[in-house]
Amino acid sequence: MSTSQAAEAPIRAAPNDGTILLVEDSPDDVVLTKRALRKNNIGNRVIVADDGEQAIEYLLPANGKPIVPELILLDINLPKLSGLDVLRAIRSDERTKYLSVVVLTTSSEEQDIVSSYDLGANSYVRKPVEFDNFLEAVRVLGLYWLLVNQTAAHTRGTAE
Amino acid sequence: MPSTELGASAASPRSSSSVPFSGPTESVSVAPANTPGWAALAVAVATAATVGLLAVVVGGAIGRPDLAGAVAVCADLIILVLFGAVAVRAGRAQMQGRAAAESDAQASHNQLQKLIDNTAAVIYMKRIDNGRYLLVNREWERLFKVGRERVINLTDQGVFPPELAAELRENDLWTARQGRTVQFEETAQTDIGPRTYVSVKFPVFDSKAEPYAVCGISTDITEWKQAEHEARTLAAELETRVRNRTAELEASNKELDAFAYTVSHDLRAPLRSLHGYSQALLDDYTDQLDEDGREYLGRLQANVARMGHMIDDLLNLSRSTRVELVRSDVDLGAIAHEIAEELATADPHRQVKVIVHDGLRTHADPDLLLLLLRNLMANAWKFTGRNAEPVVEVDQCERAGETLFVVRDNGAGFDMRYADKLFTAFKRLHPAAEFEGTGIGLAIVARIVHRHGGRVFAEAVPDQGASFYFSLEGPMNEQPGQAARPALVGAK
Repeated sequence: MSTSQAAEAPIRAAPNDGTILLVEDSPDDVVLTKRALRKNNIGNRVIVADDGEQAIEYLLPANGKPIVPELILLDINLPKLSGLDVLRAIRSDERTKYLSVVVLTTSSEEQDIVSSYDLGANSYVRKPVEFDNFLEAVRVLGLYWLLVNQTAAHTRGTAE
Repeated sequence: MPSTELGASAASPRSSSSVPFSGPTESVSVAPANTPGWAALAVAVATAATVGLLAVVVGGAIGRPDLAGAVAVCADLIILVLFGAVAVRAGRAQMQGRAAAESDAQASHNQLQKLIDNTAAVIYMKRIDNGRYLLVNREWERLFKVGRERVINLTDQGVFPPELAAELRENDLWTARQGRTVQFEETAQTDIGPRTYVSVKFPVFDSKAEPYAVCGISTDITEWKQAEHEARTLAAELETRVRNRTAELEASNKELDAFAYTVSHDLRAPLRSLHGYSQALLDDYTDQLDEDGREYLGRLQANVARMGHMIDDLLNLSRSTRVELVRSDVDLGAIAHEIAEELATADPHRQVKVIVHDGLRTHADPDLLLLLLRNLMANAWKFTGRNAEPVVEVDQCERAGETLFVVRDNGAGFDMRYADKLFTAFKRLHPAAEFEGTGIGLAIVARIVHRHGGRVFAEAVPDQGASFYFSLEGPMNEQPGQAARPALVGAK
């Protein structure tokens, strides 16, 4: 579906406003991730997609304006479409292929790490059990991906 | 090769042979022959038969029926050759037609008939031109229920079903055309069911060196064929069983993978929430909590963290079993330095002297070796926690020709009485309050060492330190499990 749309509509990215798309099905993890962001003074808008399908609807909507996040925090184990499916869709569509995707998951299985990088994840972070460690991970992620790092999608967004 | 085929089968009918001695011979005529020829034949055949019989008996006694069979077949061949020679002489004699020798010849003939009647092999001679029988032995008569007085007027068509008869005739004609001994495998119906024979056939020549008859000696190889069939069936069964087992093993490995994945993901997730929410309470409601309340939350967090570590260790334990073992040349010293840095970074408050000796190289799976060494060194690091001048040492030594690596420390050590509990998961020799730990680390170490075909053991003195020794190869460089791993070459 996404490729046919790409042919019809000109590639157009909405102005980037530093939105974070959090793809996460566990409400507890949503609460704690948002808390961790807040604790680190990362005030960016957070949009939550609680399964893979919804993430794709946000990023590659059949009609309406897509969300162009500055950073996608992507869980792997999701209902319906898995995080890896979402990642594959993101990387195979012109409109989303340069988005920064950080896989943020509980799994430390080699197969998940390898598959994520194979599909073009920018980073793979395992959520630590201890909240202070998680805070630190989120702080570093926010600092790097929202401030230090420059993405192709970002460049295109501001150039318009 | 045919000799072993024959041999295996020849053994049983011979040894169980109980053919009664032939009665007076009938008018089956290998025509009168000169006496010396018959005598020589008789002696030769007797010798050959005896050798064959002896071979079977001796072979059976020494448990080598295959050898016995081979010798027995040789004996058969000797009979054949002599029989052929005699038949030629017989042919010549017929031409000469010396009446005077007739009675002597008849005597020799009787002897010969007795000999061929008292073998378990099936012996027969047929004319080439019309396919009629010239001679059969008693075993032939017994098997096919046709007397010798009647068979001399018959061809195979009169004895066997048309199809088999045609095949036999074709084999006979082929032998005649070849002009030499030829071997066939033939199957005939008998009153005890179908029997399979190896038939050695040779042409018999007249004075003009023209073949006029074909003689055959057929040895029953049915038992051997059955044994061969059974062996083949067994081998196939075994193969199927191995395949099934492998499939089962693969399936259970997959289950283990799935289980490990579940443990990794689903069990850790709630722990994260527990830890996170208790932290939220501590952060946001600290003024509503008294000292005790805050302490309880802290303890809750500590327990959650501990469970997190246990899950991680269990994962490592299962991983150390599941992952494919791929050996390559490994710089164990470099890995040790790497781990020492890790430990120092994770625990910056402690000053531990880590000595890694030079030249520590081995041939092992680098990932698993890292996991092994990390556990041993982390242990050493941990158990020297109460020593004012902690030292952790990584070295190697030779003991009885075996290369052993050793991780040594001057820490808490342990009582050697409990050494056998060391490498079992969840067994701890120190109270958790004294030294933290999940009790899984050394189980991981043991598993990795065993997968490499090596061994691991420890020596310790309480309060003076412990040494953990391990090898990564079995004795004599035997490495169990390696043969089944061709992936060894495809190093990563």
